[in-house]
Amino acid sequence: MKVQDFLRATKFLTILLCAAPAVAQEPIRIGVTQPLTGAFAASGNYVAQGAKIAEDAINASGGVLGRKIQLVVEDNKSNPTEAVATAEKLIAKDKVPVLMGAWSSTLTLAVMPKLMEYEVPMLVETSSSGKITTSGNPFIFRISPTSEMEARAFTPNVKTFGIKKADFLATNNDFGLGASQEFSQMLKAQGVQVGVMETMDPKATDFSAQLAKIKASGGDTLFVTTAVEQATLILKQAKEQQVKARIITTGGSVSPDQLIAQAGDAANGSYHLVFFTPWFPEAVKNPDIARKFVAEWNARKYNIGGLTEGFRGWDGIHTIVEAIKAAGKAEPKAIAQALWNVKVKGINGDIAFIKQGPAGKESAQNVPSVYVVRIDNGKVVKN
Amino acid sequence: MTARLVAAAVVVALASIPLWMGDPYVLHVLIMAGIFTIAAMSLNLLLGYAGQLSLGHVAFFGVGAYASALFSLGFSVHVLPGMLLSVQPKPVWLAMFAGMLAAGLCGWFIGRIAFKVRGAYFVIVSISFAEVARLVAVNWVELTQGPMALNNIPALSVAGFAFLRKPSVYWLVLGVAIACFILIARLVHSRAGRAMVALAENEALATSVGIDVTRYLVLATVVAATMAGAAGVLYAHYVRIVDPDVFLFIYTVTMAIMVITGGKGTLAGPVVGGVIFGLLPEGLRALAIRPETQWIVYGVLMVLVVYFLPQGIVPALRGLRSRGGS
Amino acid sequence: MEQLLQHGLNALMLGSTYALLGIGLTLIFGIMRVVNFTHGELYAFGAYMMYALVMKAGVNFFAALGLAIVLGVLLGALLELVLLSRLRVADIDTTMLVMIGAWIALQNAEQLAWTGVAVSINNPFPAAPLVLGPVSVAWNRVFVFVMALSLIVVAYKVINGTKLGRAMRATFQDRDTAALMGVQIGAVHTATFALGSGLAAAAGALLGPVFVAYPSMGDLAAAKAFAVVILGGLGSIPGATLGGFILALVEELGAGYISSGYRDAMGFLIIIVILLFRPTGLFARKERIG
Repeated sequence: MKVQDFLRATKFLTILLCAAPAVAQEPIRIGVTQPLTGAFAASGNYVAQGAKIAEDAINASGGVLGRKIQLVVEDNKSNPTEAVATAEKLIAKDKVPVLMGAWSSTLTLAVMPKLMEYEVPMLVETSSSGKITTSGNPFIFRISPTSEMEARAFTPNVKTFGIKKADFLATNNDFGLGASQEFSQMLKAQGVQVGVMETMDPKATDFSAQLAKIKASGGDTLFVTTAVEQATLILKQAKEQQVKARIITTGGSVSPDQLIAQAGDAANGSYHLVFFTPWFPEAVKNPDIARKFVAEWNARKYNIGGLTEGFRGWDGIHTIVEAIKAAGKAEPKAIAQALWNVKVKGINGDIAFIKQGPAGKESAQNVPSVYVVRIDNGKVVKN
Repeated sequence: MTARLVAAAVVVALASIPLWMGDPYVLHVLIMAGIFTIAAMSLNLLLGYAGQLSLGHVAFFGVGAYASALFSLGFSVHVLPGMLLSVQPKPVWLAMFAGMLAAGLCGWFIGRIAFKVRGAYFVIVSISFAEVARLVAVNWVELTQGPMALNNIPALSVAGFAFLRKPSVYWLVLGVAIACFILIARLVHSRAGRAMVALAENEALATSVGIDVTRYLVLATVVAATMAGAAGVLYAHYVRIVDPDVFLFIYTVTMAIMVITGGKGTLAGPVVGGVIFGLLPEGLRALAIRPETQWIVYGVLMVLVVYFLPQGIVPALRGLRSRGGS
Repeated sequence: MEQLLQHGLNALMLGSTYALLGIGLTLIFGIMRVVNFTHGELYAFGAYMMYALVMKAGVNFFAALGLAIVLGVLLGALLELVLLSRLRVADIDTTMLVMIGAWIALQNAEQLAWTGVAVSINNPFPAAPLVLGPVSVAWNRVFVFVMALSLIVVAYKVINGTKLGRAMRATFQDRDTAALMGVQIGAVHTATFALGSGLAAAAGALLGPVFVAYPSMGDLAAAKAFAVVILGGLGSIPGATLGGFILALVEELGAGYISSGYRDAMGFLIIIVILLFRPTGLFARKERIG
């Protein structure tokens, strides 16, 4: 009897000891490059926070391939040269098999040659410039929409809004100029007259000159593409100068909650294109996932205005992890190949990639959903 | 004699680094530090030797970068309504020369204008030129792509040999740095150089002995601008993306800090300063210090150096050595 | 026509604050010959003090305004005593470099303290604008205009009507003689720097609630201040006042009728043009350029 017990105990212990190394395996590292300081610091931090929530959720349910995942987050300081340095560090030093980043289009474009050099895939979660997926870089996998896609998604709203003449006010960078270009082209194709296309420096705070011109132009709609701080000021100053046009913000990064908090009454009556509707999660394709994310975000007491951007981090990390699972190993080429075939239920909607760009060197692009919301009486409502 | 031996030893040591340092990230950091050191050396010519506090230096760096990028990518722009100027993509080595030439021309133009004034006025004019250059880069979208940046710039290549691997880029940058160092040393010890130092010491006196002050200042500016342009060219084809932020005042400040803390008016000064302030940011990044704190450290360092080592580190070390020797 | 009127109104308000900034800098640059790179940081400091007092500490808006200006004066005095007192006879290059170092340290300290996100400051004025026929202007802007003008008058009176002002002007004209006449040069330097800094802080405290506050807001303000000073002539308060309004008008009209993107370039272009063709500015007294 005693001998049998002893043997059984030994068998049990041996199995335990053999299982232990498997659990103590190294985590799979995923590189994240975001602007945590500098001009885009607010947005970069929101995306990083969303990514963190995803990391913890995935690890809580066992990780992937029996290993935990570990995000290695580097700050690209909102600067293209720094973005290149972060990519170098993450790939060459930290040896990550896959990246997510780099927030703005200019930053992402700066990193792209490194991806070709080291043959490591990157998931693009926010950038909107068409150039990113048409430069012949097969290591780019973008889940955010291009400005062109955004404009296309807005097309049916042109009739419902009854737009006859539109003016544009955009921040003077890739994001703003690209959006103005795409939307104006779309509108012209719909027979809408395009008035003035004004720009401003991303650091500008006084838009009185531009708004005076826009008022004189007399359009019924004003498309605004910029960051939320400038959008707040534009709404306030437009009200001060009695600009009568309806204001529509594009780009998905302008948080209506922050506008309500900071612009107050001036925000009422404005419309916003967003890629996630945390105020009514049932409107998105996968409402349960959306609700869980919002709940976790609020539980961590993150800024509620950051939800409209933070979800990108969540969607990005989940897409990457799905690909790692399908690839069966944490190796760059395998992950890149697997990414082409992933199907992920994300917060924005269902994520899957199509080919875009020059033949033979296509990049991957997702076709996301776009939503239009309105601010009415200090609340965000469906349009 | 010993100075030459030391210099040779340093060069050999630097050149050997890619042979035993395999980490591409470290090489990347060294390459960037090298590029900014070249720019710092060129600023030293104006700031240290000619005694003019030119704080618009980044304009030359940026013009070199943009010109080289544009010529290697090709561009078409309406110089006058209805008149389209189209340039086909040129081979990279040709574009690189075009970049340096453009920067040098800028130096000549700005030199001729800016040196109508001196002192504080000159500082302000030089800063203004750089800012106008930045705003032009941002707004003249047809030419520069504005904030969308010029990307996909071809890699460095000379006579068909493409510098794709890090070690080869490192050696190219090192080679250019050494060439610039020798050029500045020659210039400083020549008659022109002595004239520059004379006018820095006492302009009125220099004029009274017949030195054509403006001519020498413009010469210094052209040489400095061409060198800064060369640094810009290296930057453009290494990082392979150029956006208007390359004209930011903060880069001039970085170069100025390198020169001043290293020792303005000395040959080794900007090199020492360049190494310290080129490597410091990456070192601080590894320590996970917030970038704001890092900049505060820079600012405080600058103030301290100006107070306690007003001549810079290199002259202070020399002073120590000579005192210890005697 | 309306558009022109609207631009004119905008220019009036901006011009008054540019004048404040310019007067502050002309005192420091003109009298003390210090290329004050920290001027913009005092401007940002004024705005952030308003933020801290009004939004964080719940202080009354107008009281906060006064307090912010006083704090700006104190910070200016502190900077002068700590950084510049040792360098009063040093060459202009050294002083400039110290000021650049201080500028970097101050701006990043600001960013460390308040993070890089822009913040807005509530003001007690009605949100609905004051409508004057075809044009309208926000009430808070009207307030800024009135306050800025008052401060300009106060500054003018201090420089021309008080003992301190006389001491300042004496030190400016001939330092050694002034010292021989018993003027406390050190105290005059500190007071001048403090006064100039206080005016910059005032401009920031006034404009902060109109727009937003963010750490690098001082850079552009400083550049415009230099443009105003050079336009008006070093050391000339009427020059700086007029220069402020001229710059604002040129910016508004340039942005309105030529290109809004080049708005901020106007100041720099003015600097370049003036220094090349009329380096002494519009109102300068006898000036050394070299």
